[in-house]
Amino acid sequence: MDPILLGAIVAIATILVLFSGVSVALGLMIVATGFLLIFDGLRSLELIPEILFGKLDNFALLSIPMFIIMGSSIASTRAGADLYEALERWLTRVPGGLVVSNLGACALFAAMSGSSPATCAAIGKMGIPEMRKRGYPDGVAAGSIAAGGTLGILIPPSVTMIVYGISTETSIGRLFLAGVIPGFMLVGLFMIWSLYSTWKSGDKALLESGNYTWKEKFEILPRVLPFLGIIIGVLYAMYGGIATPSETAAVGALLTLIIAMVIYKLWNPKDLWVVLRDSTKESVMIMFIIAAAGVFSYMLSSLFITQAIAEWIGTLDVNRWVLMTFVMLFLLVAGFFLPPVAVILMAAPILLPIITTAGFDPIWFAVVLTINMEIGLISPPVGLNLYVINGIAPDISLKTILKGSLPFVACMVVAIILLSFFPGLATWLPDFVMGKAI
Amino acid sequence: MIFVRFVLNQSTIWQTEAVVYLAIGATLVGLPYVQRLRGHVNVDLIPLALSKAARFYMYILTMTLSIVIVAVVLFYGYEHWHLAYERNWKSDTVWGVRLWIPYLSIPVGFGLFLLQLIADLVAVLLKIDAPFGLEDV
Repeated sequence: MDPILLGAIVAIATILVLFSGVSVALGLMIVATGFLLIFDGLRSLELIPEILFGKLDNFALLSIPMFIIMGSSIASTRAGADLYEALERWLTRVPGGLVVSNLGACALFAAMSGSSPATCAAIGKMGIPEMRKRGYPDGVAAGSIAAGGTLGILIPPSVTMIVYGISTETSIGRLFLAGVIPGFMLVGLFMIWSLYSTWKSGDKALLESGNYTWKEKFEILPRVLPFLGIIIGVLYAMYGGIATPSETAAVGALLTLIIAMVIYKLWNPKDLWVVLRDSTKESVMIMFIIAAAGVFSYMLSSLFITQAIAEWIGTLDVNRWVLMTFVMLFLLVAGFFLPPVAVILMAAPILLPIITTAGFDPIWFAVVLTINMEIGLISPPVGLNLYVINGIAPDISLKTILKGSLPFVACMVVAIILLSFFPGLATWLPDFVMGKAI
Repeated sequence: MIFVRFVLNQSTIWQTEAVVYLAIGATLVGLPYVQRLRGHVNVDLIPLALSKAARFYMYILTMTLSIVIVAVVLFYGYEHWHLAYERNWKSDTVWGVRLWIPYLSIPVGFGLFLLQLIADLVAVLLKIDAPFGLEDV
């Protein structure tokens, strides 16, 4: 059978199976095994355990559970609230202090955890009620946190970037650095929009922020500084050439756990158990998808689908930006339905050769792809962050949250366009710190 | 490892490999536990659109498929482990660990996973749990 036609059949089968409610990892394995069985016969199934094991047999993967432990131990404490309070107390001179400090807290929190829902929940729990109390419109309050939370997967450490790095064999250190400037740019865009929409809502008083004495300002620092110390320490260890990302992640996780235990008194075995259980849940889920996606992509290449698609696109002879637009739209639609990790694992091995042949930088592509995935997190039907916000503030309807976050989607699109015109925004920092890529 | 390299000034011989195998073991043996916590993400677009009765059969179908696939992996995973044990495969590193030890996590993990999936299916069949954990709206 023609591999392209076969590819289309595989795509349809995959969509049907994944939407059926089966877990993503098992769904990928069901599709992969089914097609292998039909086209390659029973013998090919012998390889499955070996592929599963081989995909997980990778030292770089260890950074995923480690960064997850780091994130979830912070998320279980009041660190999110403290962070946001500290920013609020220090940003008194900035107009619209509250919403700006919420977004800033999201960005900082994102720098400690690699997960978007965790960021959303940690900052939102304090931030949303506070903003509403001061009279910010519900949409702005909910939307800014939903959007700010998505930064979790763009600002390092980011689990999504690690997965991309592993599945495309790109340097994780570079990917992390590439996310920094676009991350700040997005925060900036988010801030501009929320200030504008608050200003437009007419209530000028909102743009002023509270006054705090110096005593109040300094009182909160001891609770926030250790975490900032960890961020700096982790970055130094990774880029100072001391340790690999996995080792850094392990040290970061250990330090964060200790700090959480000392400062936030997280020494109750029950609370610790919850942290560890949640980390296990998330890392096993991700690792299983990684392993299953390995079987899936093995199936694709052993039936020559990957190669055929790459070849077919090569003969299309379209403008590279037209190609990129289609790739982006495809990923966007996939991101509406599937978790970012699953999209990256399924799409990256197929797309990367196409992207690099068309002359795009894989690091740049990672950043654009991640922002694209962020859009999926705050759009229906399975926008994870929307549901997190809905869980925190049940009396704001999903519709209001959605309406509030739509303008932030526009900000992300603007960011993607800016990145397309100025790829240096993503590639300059990694080149500057780690030297030019070969 | 950073400690070994910088403080003890030795090279890391077995640590990397050991840690990776431990992590794999933890992941595979963790599969059934995470299944119990409903931690494996799924996309329930089709079940949400279905009526209650249809959703029930959909659940039975997807669970049966899942059970079959896990059983397949269990079977071949056992074969793979057995082969490694019988022929005494060793990893091609300095440490040369006997590979049947890490490989054991495949049959064990997937075996327990199989049991957990069957338990979940039975719970729905006996109406203890709602299919896909979706309550009626």
